[in-house]
Amino acid sequence: MTLADAKPGVEYRVKEIVTGDEELNEFLFTLGCYSGEPITVISRLRSGCIVSIKDGRYNIDKELAAAIKI
Amino acid sequence: MRIAFAGNPNSGKTSMYNALTGRNEKVGNWAGVTVDKKESPIRKSMYKGTEKLVAVDLPGAYSMSPFTSEEGVTSEYVRKEKPDVIINIVDATNLSRSLFFTTQLMELGIPVVVALNKSDINEKKKTNIDVSALSKRLGCPVIKTVSTSASDEGLREVVHAAVSVAGSVQKAPYTQGTRVLRDKAEAEEADRRRYAFVNGIVAQVETRAALTRDRNSQDKVDAVLTNVWFGIPVFAVVMFLVFQISQTWVGPVVADALVGGLESFQEWVRGFFETANPLLTALLVDGVIGGVIAVIGFLPLVMVMYFLIALLEDCGYLARATVVLDPMFKKVGLSGKSVIPFVMSIGCAVPGVMASRTIHNERERRAATMLAPFMPCGAKIPVISLFAGAFFSEHRGIISAAMYFSGIMLIFLGALLINKITGNSAKHSYFIMEIPEYKLPSLSRAFATMCSRGWAYIVKAATIILICNTVVQIMQSFDWSFRVAESADTSILASIAGPFAYLLVPVVGVLSWQLAAAAITGFIAKENVVGTLAVCFVGLDNLIDTEELALMEGAGTEVASAFAITKAAALAYLMFNLFSPPCFAAIGAMSAEMKSAKWLWAGLGLQLGVGYTVGFFVFQIGTIGMTGGVGAGFVPGGLAVAAFAAILSFLIMRTKKRLAAERAGKELRNG
Repeated sequence: MTLADAKPGVEYRVKEIVTGDEELNEFLFTLGCYSGEPITVISRLRSGCIVSIKDGRYNIDKELAAAIKI
Repeated sequence: MRIAFAGNPNSGKTSMYNALTGRNEKVGNWAGVTVDKKESPIRKSMYKGTEKLVAVDLPGAYSMSPFTSEEGVTSEYVRKEKPDVIINIVDATNLSRSLFFTTQLMELGIPVVVALNKSDINEKKKTNIDVSALSKRLGCPVIKTVSTSASDEGLREVVHAAVSVAGSVQKAPYTQGTRVLRDKAEAEEADRRRYAFVNGIVAQVETRAALTRDRNSQDKVDAVLTNVWFGIPVFAVVMFLVFQISQTWVGPVVADALVGGLESFQEWVRGFFETANPLLTALLVDGVIGGVIAVIGFLPLVMVMYFLIALLEDCGYLARATVVLDPMFKKVGLSGKSVIPFVMSIGCAVPGVMASRTIHNERERRAATMLAPFMPCGAKIPVISLFAGAFFSEHRGIISAAMYFSGIMLIFLGALLINKITGNSAKHSYFIMEIPEYKLPSLSRAFATMCSRGWAYIVKAATIILICNTVVQIMQSFDWSFRVAESADTSILASIAGPFAYLLVPVVGVLSWQLAAAAITGFIAKENVVGTLAVCFVGLDNLIDTEELALMEGAGTEVASAFAITKAAALAYLMFNLFSPPCFAAIGAMSAEMKSAKWLWAGLGLQLGVGYTVGFFVFQIGTIGMTGGVGAGFVPGGLAVAAFAAILSFLIMRTKKRLAAERAGKELRNG
C-alpha cells in the first residue's frame, strides 16, 4: 500500500520510494523520509495530504503520496 | 573575520542576521525566503571585542547536496570560500532533521557554533533539550537563541562563542570516512548511518511532551484554511482585504494629508523662483517637482500594502496558500510553489521573480518567472490609482480589484499557453512543501519592512523618476534645433514618441504622443507613467499634483477631459501598461533567473503580445458597448492581434506535431 491509502493519525514505516527522480529521492532522504523510517499522515486535502516526517510537517501532493510505499 | 550562517530552511538565519547586523533583509515564515548570500558587518552592540566581524547570510539547505539552485549557493560557499566560523542555526523544534546537516558541516574542518533557535516555541511545547549533553556529543558550543527577539541574550553569546572557537580545531562527531563512495547505494548507506547517528544523539538529549505526529491546535486551523471548499475563498478574501485596506480604506486617507504637505512645498519653491525665468520655473516647479510629487503622493497606498504583505509573510499563511492553490496551478502546468513568487510580485516583481528559484522543475520555474510580472506591483499602484480615480471615480475600488483579478487570470492563461507551446511532457511533477508553524506576526517587524520599502520608493522617486521627469520636461520644451518649442507638439519628445503613438491608436483611439511617451518611460520605472503624464499634458501637471486627482472628487473629470480619451480607452491604456513587459529592473531579474536568451525573448514577446491584445480588446469591446461601432484603428490593431494569435497557434501546432511524432516513435520502438 502507498501513503495515498494511509489512515490519518496512524504511524507507518516507509518501505520504498519510487519517484523515478533520483534527486527528489535524495531530497526526501535529507528530510528523513526513506525506507525504514516512520511517517504519519496528519490530514488529507483535496490536493494530497499533510504528513509528519521526523519533527517537521510537509504538504505533499497525491502523486508523491502514491510514490511512497508503506 | 567572516562568520557564515548556515542551517535548514526557515530555521531563522536571516532573522538572526538582521538582529546581529541591524540590516533589514527580507524574512518570512516559509522555507526559501533567502535565495542569495548577503554580507554585512556585525553591530558593535552585539560584540564587545575589537575585531571586525562580518556576517554572511546563506540560503537555507537541508544538506550539503543541493536540491534546488539556492541550496547550491550554501554548500558552494562553505566549501570554497572557507569562512572562519560557521554559525549553524538549528531549528530546535526539529532537531532530528537539523542535526543531519550539522554533522555534515562539522566534517568540513571549519569551527562550528550551534545556535539552537526557536527555543521559545520549544518551551511552549514543553520540549526539553539538554544543551550541555548536546554540546558534548557534538563537540562544539551549543547556545539557545530566539532570533526574533532583539533583547535575546543568546544572540550575543553566539557571537562570542563564534569568536572564541575561530581558529580552533573541532573533532567532527561523525565522519563518513575517507573511503570514496563508488555508487548510489554506498552513498545512501553512508547517509543512513549518519541519520542513525543523529537519531542516537536526539534520543539522548531530547524529551518531548507532545509528539509532532499528534494532531495539535494548529492542525485544526489548517483544516479550515486548507479545506477543500473554504481554502480558495479564504485566499481570495485575504488578498481582497490586502488591496481594499491599502487602496481604498486606509491608504487614500493618509495620502490626502501627505499631498497637502507636498503641495505647500511646491508652492514654497515656486515663490522662490518668482522673479526667475518663467521657462525655468515651469521646468523646475511644474515639471520636475510636480512629476515627483505626483509619484510620491501614492506612497501611503504602497506603504500600507507593504505592511499588510509583511504581516501575511510573517504568520505562515503563504505556505498554506501554496497548498490550497497547488491543484489549480497544476492544471495549467505550474507548481503550487509559484504562489510565493506571485504574491511577492504584488510588492515588487524583482524579488518576486527571484523567489521562483525555489521551484525545482526548470520548466515550471521559467514559467513562473515569465508570469510573475503580470501581478500588478507596487510601482503600478500610482498608475492604477491615477486612471481609476480620473475615469472611474465612483468605482475606484472595483477597478483596482479588477486589475489584480485580471493579473491572476492572465497568469493562468499565460501558463496554459506556455504549457501548450513547450509541450509539457507530463513527466511527474511532484510537490512537497514544508509547512511552518503559525506564529503571531510581528507588528514592529512589519513596520520596519514598510519603512524600508517606503524609503526605497522615495529614493527611487527622488533619483530615477526625478531624472526621467527632467529629461522628459526638457525634451518637450525644446525642438531639435534646441530652441524653445513653439508648442509641445513640435518638441523633441513629440517627434520621438510620435511613431509609437501610431501603434497605440488601436488601444486608445487617438493619436497621442503623450500617452506613447508615458508608456515608454514606464519601462524605466512604472511610476514614470504617472510622472510623464503629469509633465506632458500642458495644464494638467497642476491638476495631478495639487488636487491629487485620484483622491478628490470632481478633479478627476477635468483630468479625464485633458487626456481627451474615452473611458474604454483609459481602461485599455491602463491595462496595456500593467500587462506589457515590466520595468528594466524586473526584466534583468527575469534574464538572470531564466539563464536562457530564448526564454527571455519568448517571455518578453508573450508579455508584449498579451498586453497589446488585452488593451485592444478592452478598448474595442468597450467602444462597441458605448457607441455601437468599433473604435479607431480596429483593422490594423486587429491584424496585429491576429498575427500574435497566429504565431501562438503556429507554435502550439508545431509542438503538437512534435509530441505526436515522439509518441509514434515510441510506439514503433515498443511495437
